Amino acid sequence: MGAHLIRRISLMIPNVFILTFLLFSGVTTFLGSPAALMLGEEASPEAIRQINEKFGFDRPVLTQYANWVANAATGDFGRSYSTQQSVGAMILPALPMTLELSAWAIILAVAAATIINSIPFARKSVEGISSLLCIIGITIPNFFLGICFIYILSVRLRWLPTTGWVPWSSGIGSHLTHLIMPVLTLTAFYFGSFSLIYKAEYRAISQQLFVKVARAKGLGEIAISFKHILPNSILPVITYAGLSLGQLVGGAVVTESVFSMPGIGRLLVNSIGARDFPVMLAIGMIVIVGVMIMNLLADLLYGLVNPVVRLAD
Amino acid sequence: MTAKRKIGLMLIALVAICGLFAPYLAPFNPVSSGIDPLEGASARHWLGTDPLGRDVLSRVIYGARISLMVGIGAALIAAVIGVPVGLMAGYFRGRIDLVLVQIIDIFIALPGLVLALIVTAMLGAKALNLALVLGFVSSPTVARLVRGQALQVRQTAYVEAARAAGGGPAWIMVRHVWPNIMRTVSAQFAITVSYAIFTSASLSFLGLGVPPPTPDWGGMVREGFEYLSVLPLLSLGPGAAVAVTVMAFYLIGSSVE
Amino acid sequence: MVRIAKAGGAFLMGLALFLWVPGGAVKAAEPVKGGTLNVGFFDDTKTLDPVYSVALSERQILFLMFDNLIDIGPDFSLKPSLATSWEYQNGEKRILLHLRADVKFHDGTDFDADAVKWNLDWRMLPETNSPARSQLASAIDNVEVVDKATVAINLKQPFPPLLSLLTDRAGLMESPAAVKKYGKDFGGNPVGTGPFVFKSWTRGSRIELERNSAYWQKGQPYLDRVIFSDISTAVVGSQRLTTGELDFVAQITPQNARLLESSPDIKLVQISVGNWYALQWHWDKPPFSNAKLRQAVAQAVDRQKINALLWSGKGRIANSETPPGLWWSPSDQEHYSYDPAQAKKLLAESGYDTAIEIPLSAPSDTALRQLVQLVKENLEAIGLKVRLEPIAQSEWYARAVAKQINFTPMRWTLRADPDGLIQFLFDTKGAANSTGYSNPEVDKLIAQARGTSDIATRKNIYDQIHQYIAEDLPYVSLAFSGEFVAMNKKVDGFVQMPDLIPRYRTLWKNQ
Repeated sequence: MGAHLIRRISLMIPNVFILTFLLFSGVTTFLGSPAALMLGEEASPEAIRQINEKFGFDRPVLTQYANWVANAATGDFGRSYSTQQSVGAMILPALPMTLELSAWAIILAVAAATIINSIPFARKSVEGISSLLCIIGITIPNFFLGICFIYILSVRLRWLPTTGWVPWSSGIGSHLTHLIMPVLTLTAFYFGSFSLIYKAEYRAISQQLFVKVARAKGLGEIAISFKHILPNSILPVITYAGLSLGQLVGGAVVTESVFSMPGIGRLLVNSIGARDFPVMLAIGMIVIVGVMIMNLLADLLYGLVNPVVRLAD
Repeated sequence: MTAKRKIGLMLIALVAICGLFAPYLAPFNPVSSGIDPLEGASARHWLGTDPLGRDVLSRVIYGARISLMVGIGAALIAAVIGVPVGLMAGYFRGRIDLVLVQIIDIFIALPGLVLALIVTAMLGAKALNLALVLGFVSSPTVARLVRGQALQVRQTAYVEAARAAGGGPAWIMVRHVWPNIMRTVSAQFAITVSYAIFTSASLSFLGLGVPPPTPDWGGMVREGFEYLSVLPLLSLGPGAAVAVTVMAFYLIGSSVE
Repeated sequence: MVRIAKAGGAFLMGLALFLWVPGGAVKAAEPVKGGTLNVGFFDDTKTLDPVYSVALSERQILFLMFDNLIDIGPDFSLKPSLATSWEYQNGEKRILLHLRADVKFHDGTDFDADAVKWNLDWRMLPETNSPARSQLASAIDNVEVVDKATVAINLKQPFPPLLSLLTDRAGLMESPAAVKKYGKDFGGNPVGTGPFVFKSWTRGSRIELERNSAYWQKGQPYLDRVIFSDISTAVVGSQRLTTGELDFVAQITPQNARLLESSPDIKLVQISVGNWYALQWHWDKPPFSNAKLRQAVAQAVDRQKINALLWSGKGRIANSETPPGLWWSPSDQEHYSYDPAQAKKLLAESGYDTAIEIPLSAPSDTALRQLVQLVKENLEAIGLKVRLEPIAQSEWYARAVAKQINFTPMRWTLRADPDGLIQFLFDTKGAANSTGYSNPEVDKLIAQARGTSDIATRKNIYDQIHQYIAEDLPYVSLAFSGEFVAMNKKVDGFVQMPDLIPRYRTLWKNQ
């Protein structure tokens, strides 16, 4: 177990560096000279040279990357080109918002995926509906779903507000009400993939002997489904959900945009539109590191519980 | 043929016809401004008109072109990259396999949308670039799948016999391994198209897709969103088009099991 | 005169709309204290520091947290603010400002002549790099503290527009102590003397201001709080107005106004003159240094259609940056009529190789985005190839003004003095001259017009300037937008200002 862990970590670290380096060199190579962006077209060659020297833009990419990583390790991601704010100060308030949204959505999605897909075992009639829900969850674009929600629940029925976020200081009730639609939208997004995983595991488990034994003992189908099969099938979903936390930013980007929520996703989109490198790089790195770490944890968790996987590695 | 497949094929046919025959099907020119902006659905304009007086139905029909180009393009690229990589890893095993699996694992966990966002920002949001990025992002999944299948097939008697008979690797791969994995690969192809259309529409919705005035479903949803309270069809129309197309390809891909 | 009548007329119309509707009408115009005003705005706010502020959305917020030295009325006339009175001396080369004595900044420090001197000097320092620098430094020689409540501004030569400048950003007084304390971060921690104090700022989303209970104008402000929330477009704002989430949204297009007319809780005020919309280019470089090409573009654009589609015909075709009705409005002017046949001829004469694609910037704002699509259509109809290049709205303006974009739509609001916009845009050294336009004759005339306060003389000079500009085409004037302001019926006290910046400090909310 220990050796396994060490091996995985030692594999992960160079991956992180490779990926962040690719990101860094890609951004700085393709997105134009930062000096020109800062000074404008009319800048004299002299002025550009000065800026290059001052910020080190004329040094080889590797050196610049090394500097950036060194600074990032201390939490200094530089200042945004657009707002002149420290990048850390921009990201810090946005992170909890995205985390909150995603946490709600993932928890709800796990619950929905397990419950909705456990029922057909007992009630065959529900099979069609639950399958349909799965397909819809996987395929429906979340911007479309979000807009549908807004149209029905906000515009027509006037039950809910159109934006997704007000600060806690405006009141818990208000805060939560604004979150309902974005959370539902994001839940649908995760629900689909969670369902697939759960159903696969469920099918395998339900063939096993102990199920037949339970049935022979006279236990009702619902009880078997929920009390026996579910708990055994749920593990892969949970590990996958953990993995999804690493996908945090990707899932939330569109939802935050539809509901005007000031989270990391929207920050990323804005920084890309604005060619704001420091912010883009910082968020990119957070995503890469986050994904890698969550992958590691999820794999380990799965390996812990399922020794077969570990051995085969 | 299952109901799933039938529905999927019908929908794909519908979308493909729109894409291929758009100039004949669309009642109006999709990019010329008109004089009756923001009209609701009527006999003349089945889905109404947009703020510049353009017929929404025509734009939705033409929109199929970009979506299909990007979707199929991405799936092709994913296959072109993923299949050889997977085959090599699965067939040759040993060190080649280890290296390739490492590379695959690095990329497979990365969130596709975020990557696509960043890369299209770098290279510009042309249909070709979108297809390239999305194809690249989907290729690890294809590679993994192919590798798994190749590993299985490799054990079969056919292949053992072929090797015993002295056939070279390339010949064996083409003659024996490939036909057996083709079904899985084509299923994955459909699923990749589905994913690519989903993601490129999301990108356009975020404002980072193809530039105006090209009719593009995600972009149309974005523009129509503003008028949701009075002309919901402006955004729900193209949005439904995306949903239907994504579902159609997914149904086909998932019905192959 | 005409302007006052128009502004008054619009106000009366708004008032009439307000009084006429049953159920929400309040008879008295007695301000009611308390309440929160929720404003929807298009957030391209980068900084809340008036010294660096450039974006349009920032001005309305700055006017709440800061006071200007001199204020303007609805007809652009000058009114006392932090300066209670002023006088010219020394052949109009010296302005004496008499300041209020009882004003403190939000951080408790005193507002006095030293603070005024510091504010003006700070903007004129090269190291500060303020956009206000060139306009101030070109006219001001030095600023002198006469006594605690009197400041003298010594000019290099007479400069009538200075007082108008002091009604806007250049005259917004910030606390020197706070700037020293926050340094670069003052833009996120603004401290002024205004009726509202800065509370919080969630970038790209929300700005909260709270009542300044120690405000020097007794009894004001009426509102407890003003909250600015980002809305991606005016229609989203309209939606949130009807649900009651927002109380006030400006820049409503006539199309959206139509949607709101039927809403029982909302009232609309039509703005008498909207933003000036135009196309601009790099005038001093190919391809647009080619005069015939510019003229071809000017005659290829169908401005009637643009007005019809973008503003339901409620806008007004513009032949220059100045609308009719002001004392400096151009009397007689060359203008370019919509004539595609003529445009094609001019294009051929220009010798421009039409196979080369012309990039046209496409900012994401609704009106601008729609505008460029129509322009593209028009230009392609005469044989040019145009490629639209999308750009994020928040970046577009800053980049265009920094001369990083060649061909782009642009819009401007009016300034109180003709010199404000004309020098800004058309003088070779103008701070916002992003077209590279340079005409020594025009420069001479601008300097002349600045040097006298006689209206008749100045009008004559500005007529000549307008003639040159019309011929040289640094911009293709398109139209003045038709715009509305929409607010909840409970909101009262709104007075239209010709620079289109809402002055929320005069508003109150009836219960």
